[in-house]
Amino acid sequence: MLAIKDLDSYYADLQVLRGVSLHVEEGEVIALFGPNGHGKSTLLKAICGLQPPKRGSIQFKGEEIAGLPAHQIVERGLAYIPEERHLFTDMTVLENLYLGAYPRHARSAVKRNLEYVFHIFPRLAERRNQLCSTLSGGEARMVAIGRGLMSETSLLMVDEPSIGLSPGMKLAVFDAIRQIHQERNMTILIVEQEIQHALEMSNRIYLMKKGQIAFERKGEEIQVEEIEKAYF
Amino acid sequence: MENFVNALVSGLISGSLYAAMALGLTIIYGVSRVFNFGHGVIAVIGAYFTWYLLSNFGVPFLLATLLSMAFMALFGWLLYRFTINPLLKKPNWEFSTVLFMLGAGILLENVVLQIFGPRVKSIPLLAEGALKVAFIQINWHEILLIVIVLVAILALSLFFKYTRTGQAMRAVAQSVPGAQVVGINIEQIFGMTFALAFVVTGFSGILLGTKYYLNPHIGWEWMVKGFVIVTFGGLGSTSGAVVAALILGLVEAVATLYLGAIWVWPIWFVLFLIVLLLRPQGILGGRA
Amino acid sequence: MLKNFNWKSALYILVIAFILLYPWLGASSYNKHLFILFFIWSIVAANWNLMMGYAGINSLGNIGFMAIGGYTAGILAKSFGIPPLLTVPIAGLVTSLVVTLALGLPALRLSGIYIALLTLIFADTLPSLLTQTREITGGAMGLHEIPPFYPGMDKTGAYYICFVFFLIVLGIIYRVIHSPTGMAFVALRDSENFAYCLGVNKFRERLKVFALSSLLTGAAGGMYVHALGDISPTTLGIEPFLLTIAMIELGGVGTFFGPILGAAVIVFGNEFLRLAGTLRLTLLGALICTIILFYPGGVIQLFHSLEHQIERLLKRKPSTS
Repeated sequence: MLAIKDLDSYYADLQVLRGVSLHVEEGEVIALFGPNGHGKSTLLKAICGLQPPKRGSIQFKGEEIAGLPAHQIVERGLAYIPEERHLFTDMTVLENLYLGAYPRHARSAVKRNLEYVFHIFPRLAERRNQLCSTLSGGEARMVAIGRGLMSETSLLMVDEPSIGLSPGMKLAVFDAIRQIHQERNMTILIVEQEIQHALEMSNRIYLMKKGQIAFERKGEEIQVEEIEKAYF
Repeated sequence: MENFVNALVSGLISGSLYAAMALGLTIIYGVSRVFNFGHGVIAVIGAYFTWYLLSNFGVPFLLATLLSMAFMALFGWLLYRFTINPLLKKPNWEFSTVLFMLGAGILLENVVLQIFGPRVKSIPLLAEGALKVAFIQINWHEILLIVIVLVAILALSLFFKYTRTGQAMRAVAQSVPGAQVVGINIEQIFGMTFALAFVVTGFSGILLGTKYYLNPHIGWEWMVKGFVIVTFGGLGSTSGAVVAALILGLVEAVATLYLGAIWVWPIWFVLFLIVLLLRPQGILGGRA
Repeated sequence: MLKNFNWKSALYILVIAFILLYPWLGASSYNKHLFILFFIWSIVAANWNLMMGYAGINSLGNIGFMAIGGYTAGILAKSFGIPPLLTVPIAGLVTSLVVTLALGLPALRLSGIYIALLTLIFADTLPSLLTQTREITGGAMGLHEIPPFYPGMDKTGAYYICFVFFLIVLGIIYRVIHSPTGMAFVALRDSENFAYCLGVNKFRERLKVFALSSLLTGAAGGMYVHALGDISPTTLGIEPFLLTIAMIELGGVGTFFGPILGAAVIVFGNEFLRLAGTLRLTLLGALICTIILFYPGGVIQLFHSLEHQIERLLKRKPSTS
C-alpha cells in the first residue's frame, strides 16, 4: 500500500532523513520506534506532505505522492494524526469532526464515519457541542484521531498518540486504535514511545536511528528489551 | 440631552460604517496573517468603480454594486495569486507583504488619481428624507446604511458558520497545519479569502462613499482608522472588530460633541495605546 | 604589504578621497546640495535598515523620528538660540526618549505587526499635531531660516560637516552590526530557536537597537535642519517615506552597504523622477513593488556577484605571472 524508497529530507541545512526505505502492506499495523529527534515525525510529515522530502520516492497505492501538497495526499486516502494534534480550538468537537470530512471523497460517508467515531469514542458524542479548547488532553487526542477517521482513509498514520496522557487514558487510546484496526481492517503506521503497547498490536516494526532505518522485524520475533537496547 | 442622544445616533451610524470597513482587514489577517497595508485604497477602488458605473453608464445602483463586487473578487484573487502568494513563500514574508501592500496601495491610489482626477466625488444617497421621533432626527439614508451593514454582518457570519468554504477559512485561521491535515488546500483558501475580503472592503467603500465624500486619497484616512479598530477588537477577530468599531464610533461622536473634532484622534490613539499595553489580544480575544 | 592589499579597500579609499576632494573639483552648489541630501538620507536609511533588516523591528515611523529631531533642533536653535553643537545631540536624545517610551515599550513585546501598526499610526498623527501647534512649529508653513551650523556657513561647510557626521554614524552602525548584539540579531534572523539557545533576550536587545536607531535618526533630523535651513510637514509626507523605503529595498535590506547604495541611487536618481511629474508617486510605488517581488536582494546582490567575478579574476592572475 505504501512503499518508501531512499527518502532524504532536510530541515534547513540539516539532513534529518538519510535514505529511508520502508513498506506497509494492506491491513498491517506497523510500529516505528526510535529515540526522539531521530527523524520519525519528519518521516510521517514527509509522507503526508507537510514537509516535502528532498529526494526519494513515496508510492501510495501505486501512485507517486512525494512532493505533492498535503491536501492532494489526504484526498488519496491517507490520514495523518499529528503528535501536536493541531485541532481547531475555537470550534466545537462536531465542527472539528465535520472538517475531517473535508476531502471530496469523504463527503458522502460523513454520516457513517461520524457514527463510527462516536462508536469508538462515546465520550466525544457526549461532548459534541463543546469547544475543543475546553477538552482534556485525552479527549483532544480522541478528536484528533476521530477527525482522521472522518476523512474516509485507508491508511492511518498516528504520531505518538499516547504522549502526555494518564496511564488509564493511554490504555484507552491504544484500545481504540486496536479496535479501529480490527473492525475496519485499517492499515496503521504508528510512531510510539510506549514500546510494549505498540509492539503488542504490530505485525512488523521498524527501528529508526539517526535518520536511517536501523532494522526491521516481525512483531512476534522481537522483545521490548531488544528494542530498548537499540536506542542506545 | 438632545445633543447627546443625537451624538449617540450619529456615533452608531459611523461606527457601523467603520465596522464594515474594518472587516476586510481583519478577515485577511485572521486567515492568512497578512496585514493589508493597502487596505484603504481597496475600499476606494470599490467605491470609484461603482461611482463610474453610476455616473457614466447610468447603471442602477444595485446592479452597479453587484458588478463592482464581482470586480473586487476577481481583483483580490488575482492580487493574491500573482503577488502575495509568491511573497508568502519567502522567509521574511510578514514584513515584505506589509511593504509590498504599502507600495501597491500608493501605486493604486495614484492610478485612481490619474484616471479620475483629484476632484471630490460622491455616490448618491440611497433614500431621501428623514425619520423624526420627538427631538431625534435620522435620515432614512442612514437608517438604511445601518440595516445594510447589519444584514451584511449577519450574512458573513452565516457564511463562516455554515458553508464549507467558510468553515475551511475558520479552520485555516485557527491552525494551518490542522487544516492541511484534514485536506484543505491552503493556497486556494487564501485566494478565496482575499477575494471575499476585497468584496467586503469594496462594498464598505461604496457605503462610505454615500455618507462621506470620495477622493483618491481618502482611503488612507479610512485605513488608519481601520488599523486602530482591528487592533482594539483583537487582530483577526471579526466580532471584535465590529464591537470595537461601534465603541470607537460612539467615542468619536461624543468627543466631537463635548471637546471638538480635533480631539477625536488623540483620544483614539490613547485608547489604542491603553489596549495595547493592558490587553494586546484586543477586547474580544483574538491573538496577540 | 601588497599581499594584504585588497581591491575593495582601494575602492573605499578612492570613494572617500573623491568625496573629500569633490568641492575643489569644481562641484556646483547644486551638486554639493545633492551630496548633503545623500549623507543625511543615507543615515536615515541605514538606521531604518538596522531596525528592519537586522533587528527585525518592523518600524514604519522612521521619517516621523527624523521629523521630531528636526523640529526639536530647529525650535531650540531658532527660538532659544542654542548652538547647533548642542541642538543636534539634544534632538537625538529627545527623539529617542519620546519614541522609545511611546512606541517601543508598548509594541516591541508583541508580534511584529504591532510595531508596524503603531509606528504608522504615530507617523500619520504627526502632521495634524504640527498644525495644532502652529505657534511653536509654524504649522503647515513649517520652520524657516533655522540657524546654520556656524554663522556665514556656505554649502561647502555644510558639505564637510554632514560628511563627518555621515562617517561617524556609519561607523557606529558598523560597530553595532559586528557587536555581540548585532551577531545575535543575525542569528535570530536566521534561526529563532538557535538564538534562544544562545540566551538572547529579544525584547531587551530590540529595545536597545530601537533607542539607538531613533537617537541617530533624530540627530540626522537635526543635521538636516541646520544644513538646509528649513523643515515643514511635507518633510514627513508620504513621498520621503516611500523614497526611504525604496532606498533600503533597492540597495538591499539587511546589508551594511545596501541602504547607502540605495540612498545614492535614489537621491541622484530622484532628479530623473522629477521629470515624471504627477506620475512620480505611481512610479515610486511600482518601483517598490517590483523590487520586493522580483529583486528582494537589491542592487547589493548585483555587486556581490560582481565582487565574486573580480575576486576570481584576481586570484587567477598571480598564477599566470
